[in-house]
Amino acid sequence: MTQPIAWLDGPYWPYLALFLFAVLPTEIWRWLAVVFARGLGAESALLDWVRAVATALLAGIVAKLIVSPPGALAHAPLLIRITALAAAVAVMAIDRRRMMLAVLMGEAVLIGGVWLFGAV
Amino acid sequence: MSVSADWSWQRVALAGMRDALSLPAWIVGFGLVGIGSLARDVGYPVGSAVLSTILVWAGPSQVLFFASIAAGAAWSAIAIAIGFASLRFLPMTVAILPLLRRPGQSVWLQLLLAHYVAVTAWTEGLRRLPAIPLHQRVPYFLAFANTCMAVSALGTFAGYYLVGALPLPFAAGLLCLTPIFFLVSLTAGLRHRGDVVALILGLVLAPICERFIGGGFDLIVAGLVAGTIALFVGKRRKTA
Repeated sequence: MTQPIAWLDGPYWPYLALFLFAVLPTEIWRWLAVVFARGLGAESALLDWVRAVATALLAGIVAKLIVSPPGALAHAPLLIRITALAAAVAVMAIDRRRMMLAVLMGEAVLIGGVWLFGAV
Repeated sequence: MSVSADWSWQRVALAGMRDALSLPAWIVGFGLVGIGSLARDVGYPVGSAVLSTILVWAGPSQVLFFASIAAGAAWSAIAIAIGFASLRFLPMTVAILPLLRRPGQSVWLQLLLAHYVAVTAWTEGLRRLPAIPLHQRVPYFLAFANTCMAVSALGTFAGYYLVGALPLPFAAGLLCLTPIFFLVSLTAGLRHRGDVVALILGLVLAPICERFIGGGFDLIVAGLVAGTIALFVGKRRKTA
C-alpha cells in the first residue's frame, strides 16, 4: 500500500492526497477546455473532429474495462463480459429509446452468466 | 421531457432533475457504489470516498486512485496515470461548452459547468440540450448534473459500508454497470455514420493499443486515430 508523504502526514492526509493526486490531474483538463472552447462555434468543423475523438475515447474506455476489468469483474469470464455488452447493444439496435431495458439486459446476462457458469 | 421556452428557471430545473432521475442518476449512482468499497479497503475515511465522487466526478479516475494506493504505486505514478485517463475531458468539455454558452457568461460559470462534464452529463447533454431553448440550458444542465452527483454521493457512501457483503455475481454486476452504461449512452447519442465508425473503431483499437503501446499513451493514440478516421468517413458520406 502507498504510504503518506511523511512531512505532510496527519489526519487530513487522505483528503490532501485526494486533492493533489486525483482531483487536480482530472480537473485540469476541464479547466483547459474552458480556455480552448472560447470562440469555438457550436457548428465548427474542428468541433466535429473533437466530438469524434471524444466518442472514440469513451468507446476505448469501455473496451479497456471489459478486456482488463477491475476488482470482482475480473472473476467473470471474458466471453460473458463481451456477451453482456452485446446483449445491451442488441436491445439498442432494435429500439434506441430503450436505454433502461438495454442496461438491464446487459446486467442480467452478466449476473446470470456468472451465476450459471461460475467465476474464474 | 421537453422544455417550453416560457417556463421559469425553477420549472426548467425540475425538468432536469426529473430527466436525471428517470435513469441516468441511478446508473452513475450504482456505478460509483464500488468506489466506497475500494476506499474502505485502503483504510481511507468515508468522507474521502464521498468527496472523490463530488470533486473528481470521474469513475475511472476514482478507481485508479484507490486501486493504485492498494497496489502500492508511487504518488507521482498515480497522478500521471489519472492525468492520462482524464485527457478525454478536454475534447468532451470543448464539445459541450458551446451548447451551454451565452454572451456575457462569466468564466467562473463556465469553469463550474465544466466540472460536471463526465460521461453521463456529456452524452445526455449532447443529446438533450439542442432541443432546449438557449437561455434555459444552464439551469437544466446544472439541475440534471447535480441530481446525478447527489445520488452518486449517496451510492458511494452506501458502498463504503455495504459492498463487502455482496455475493460475487452482484459485485461483478456493479462493476460492469459502468462499461454497459457508457456503451448504451454512446449508442443512444449516435447521430450519423461518422459517430458509428468512431464508436466501433474506439472499441477495437483500444485493446490493441493497450497491448502494443505502453506508458498510458495507448488510450489517447486509439482515440485520436479512431476519431480522425471517423471524421473522414463521415465527411465522405455527407458529400456523396
